[in-house]
Amino acid sequence: MASAYNPIYTDVPEKDVFALHFLQTLSNLRTQNSFSSPDNKTSDRVKKIKKAAYVSMARAAGGANRLWSRSLLHQAAKRNNKNVRFLRRKRRVTWLMRRRSNRGDPIEDVAAERLRNLVPGGGGMETSKLMEETAHYIKCLSMQVKVMQCLVDGLSPK
Amino acid sequence: MNSSLLTPSSSSSSPHHLQSPATFDHDDFLQNFFSSAPWPSSALDDDAPPPTSDSSLAGFHHHDVDSRNQITMIPLSHHNPNDAVDVNALYSGFSAGSLPFHFPQGSGGGVMKQSHTQTQSQATASTTTGGTAATPQTKPKVRARRGQATDPHSIAERLRRERIAERMKSLQELVPNGNKTDKASMLDEIIDYVKFLQLQVKVLSMSRLGGAASVSSQISEDAGGSNENTSGENQTAAKMTEHQVAKLMEEDMGSAMQYLQGKGLCLMPISLATTISTATCPSRNPLISAVKEAGVPLSPNAATTPLVNVKGASVVTVKDASSVSKP
Repeated sequence: MASAYNPIYTDVPEKDVFALHFLQTLSNLRTQNSFSSPDNKTSDRVKKIKKAAYVSMARAAGGANRLWSRSLLHQAAKRNNKNVRFLRRKRRVTWLMRRRSNRGDPIEDVAAERLRNLVPGGGGMETSKLMEETAHYIKCLSMQVKVMQCLVDGLSPK
Repeated sequence: MNSSLLTPSSSSSSPHHLQSPATFDHDDFLQNFFSSAPWPSSALDDDAPPPTSDSSLAGFHHHDVDSRNQITMIPLSHHNPNDAVDVNALYSGFSAGSLPFHFPQGSGGGVMKQSHTQTQSQATASTTTGGTAATPQTKPKVRARRGQATDPHSIAERLRRERIAERMKSLQELVPNGNKTDKASMLDEIIDYVKFLQLQVKVLSMSRLGGAASVSSQISEDAGGSNENTSGENQTAAKMTEHQVAKLMEEDMGSAMQYLQGKGLCLMPISLATTISTATCPSRNPLISAVKEAGVPLSPNAATTPLVNVKGASVVTVKDASSVSKP
């Protein structure tokens, strides 16, 4: 999936990295007590698996290097009441200033707002940065979907 | 006519008088003023004013014409109260005469150019030269040409727009059906695709459990539509939509998906469908199998079944990931 000519850095690791992380997270889930008991509601299990999928995707995609992954992990850690600390990159002040000064076209602002709601961690980003994150997010998501699909196909009864 | 033309020209000369009161005695000033300026209220013959105006203009056209807008202010500030009566008269006539010059230089020059006589053209020439010389002063902001914006804000704006366009292009390659040239529709496409991928993750995480009963109920909750049709109706309706979707899919995947979404339906891998159907209700089997057999064979990449209605509720499905990423 790496494109050599793309000046913007949006490379994602190979599928096996994602698979590894996902399986690790799943096995962690299995060892938890609440998971194996059947009297649990299925919806809780579904939510847990979904969360596990996203967290593993975030870890596989590069952990704290990407804004969306960082915020995803933050959200996940907050739910578990864990204190996760990330090394904050030095903020480029020009980006923030630019956001305040220029609002851009109303057309793209509306769509950018919707995109911000979709992509995790999109609240505090400039539009161009947001689009970069979206590109990386899309790549990681499709990779994750591939991994999960392969698992389902492999494990489903013939 | 001459008088109307010359009042502006004379008023152009008069600020020069007014702005250098130190060099002029008041009497001198008043004399010059009255000789050169035919005010709108007073009627003078046409021969006398033009030469005097020309001479005065020739004398004064090299003066800087700055702050024409302040013309009305000046007489009062620079003169004795003794001359108040005259000054007031001047002021009223002055303001009337100087009004044309409150417009920008272009229109003033345009007004000038409508004259026909030679003296008028001379006056216009001098005033336009004075006018063009005056543009930098009256209009301090020079309007930059396109592509040469000197304003730092516009440069930043341009950079920002270029950056966004660049990213948009790279996103276009990622998203299937990204051949839209319109920025707005492209953004909509991107948003839909991200939603679709997130939905896929959700569905796949559900399917892993094998708790198909809850899966279908969950999904039907999310999808929100529920058709209370008889099974017979379902079959025929399903067949028709199947054909429609198959046709659409051959041309354009995105529109096929949208068509399905409009109906509250989606595509689904056969394995998942069988899992769900066998798990929920064995009585549903005839319906499902009938639909499957009637299914139109879709493109081999898709590996999907046609539409499935489970319990009359809409079912969310997952496309094969390989077909999704294919441009």
